[in-house]
Amino acid sequence: MIMTERKISLPAYKLAYAFCFVVILSLIRGISFSYEIGIAMEAPMAILAMVFCADTYTQEITSKRSEIHRLYPMKKRLASMGIRMLVQEIVLFALSAIGYGMFYSFQHPQSLYKAGQSTETELQMFFLFLAAMVVTLWFWGILSNLLACLFRNMWVGIGCGIVLWLVTNSTLGENVLGNWNLFSYAFRNVMDSRDFGWLCGKALCLLLCVLMTLLMPKIIKKRG
Amino acid sequence: MSIKINDLTVTFKNKVTAINHADLEIPNGVFGLLGENGAGKTTLMRVLTTVLTPTSGTVSMDGILYCEGNYPKIQHRIGYLPQEIDLYPGLTVQECLEYMGDLAGVPKEECRKRIQYYLEKTSLTEHRKKKMKQLSGGMKRRVGLVQALLNEPKFLIVDEPTTGLDPEERIRIRNLLVDFSENRTVLFSTHVVEDLAAVCNQLAVMKKGQFLYAGSMKELVRTAKGHVWICRLRDEVQAREIEKKYHISSKQLSEDGVQIRLISEKMPNIECVSVEPTLEDAYIYISGQQA
Repeated sequence: MIMTERKISLPAYKLAYAFCFVVILSLIRGISFSYEIGIAMEAPMAILAMVFCADTYTQEITSKRSEIHRLYPMKKRLASMGIRMLVQEIVLFALSAIGYGMFYSFQHPQSLYKAGQSTETELQMFFLFLAAMVVTLWFWGILSNLLACLFRNMWVGIGCGIVLWLVTNSTLGENVLGNWNLFSYAFRNVMDSRDFGWLCGKALCLLLCVLMTLLMPKIIKKRG
Repeated sequence: MSIKINDLTVTFKNKVTAINHADLEIPNGVFGLLGENGAGKTTLMRVLTTVLTPTSGTVSMDGILYCEGNYPKIQHRIGYLPQEIDLYPGLTVQECLEYMGDLAGVPKEECRKRIQYYLEKTSLTEHRKKKMKQLSGGMKRRVGLVQALLNEPKFLIVDEPTTGLDPEERIRIRNLLVDFSENRTVLFSTHVVEDLAAVCNQLAVMKKGQFLYAGSMKELVRTAKGHVWICRLRDEVQAREIEKKYHISSKQLSEDGVQIRLISEKMPNIECVSVEPTLEDAYIYISGQQA
């Protein structure tokens, strides 16, 4: 079942464009210090997650398979969608980790830790980035999938997600939402590694993820 | 298994009424659904598969009323082949059917046995390792039919199942549907009158959201008796004149002129002979009558 869902939700073209996106991002987004890698990656990876996950279910609608899916038990349908989301998120997560490495190898950033200006080691920074990306990718992936299912159109799902992305990933978003911003990891105070106020934003993301997960069965039932 | 439709109306948001106060009873066996494009056949099938909720009226299956609370009970008794469907292009035939069988809740081993059986019946066994995207239109149609049969539904709804099939395959699929219809109901929607004539005893004719006729095929053919004529005309010019006045069901060119088969309430004002109507003639006759 997992292998079949992987084949359905991850065709070769999707893997190819996602990989190219990460390679290009790591080549063209200039950074000087290693702590900037996470900042440079969080918001673009959110866009990739939106585009990547928007067709999780809407592919059933465009191919008219959804009319058959309606006859299947809801539990089976939700399990199928859950597995598709999981495999896609795993790929996005792996790409984030690979992308982090690419920034290192392509741009050779300087380390504040080695310069004695930070107490956070490179490895600690990397794991913190991975933890933040799990939440970011889950949030933006499930958001675009939910909106696409609601409007029965993946492009509307992506479009609505991008509006929220533009609002939150802006100076206005940073000033108004502060630590509660959905991109709080990118906006955090990198000079103070003991300031964990940004976790509020990620906790909010997690809460919204849970709410969206709970809302999904209702939308699928109503919108088919 | 019997399906009862009472005073069914489906009106879309754009105020188009696709089904207009329709009544119908679909008994056991293969039941044909005939009608021109836009007659409301697909809308009716979407209601019967619970995809669409009717604006008014009721539908029941073996006494179970179609309503939100009963949908799960109804849905697991239905198999459906929509008119247009694009099954998973990246999966092989076997993978695709195993996946859809699993979603339908068919136990794995049982599902494999059924897949093997139906692939043989539809001459797809040798193609089971091919990817869906590599199949021809007719093969995809057959895989679509197999997926609809996997959960051994009590009520099978097939929309144009023979589209894109060669004559031999069409016969095979028709026979499969007849075999399958034992103690079950198969709703067979098509434009191909010949297909219905080969498999159904009962049928309904739809036009503009209403049933023009519902009943036995013999009775439908009988209604056209005495209204079908064959005449020989000397040339194409004369044939065109006749075409303007009557419904023509067939036209053949030969060395000594044109032979046409026409439908007319009364005997036409030309030299002609009355002939036995076919189902196609009867369909044209009944459609023309209502127009």
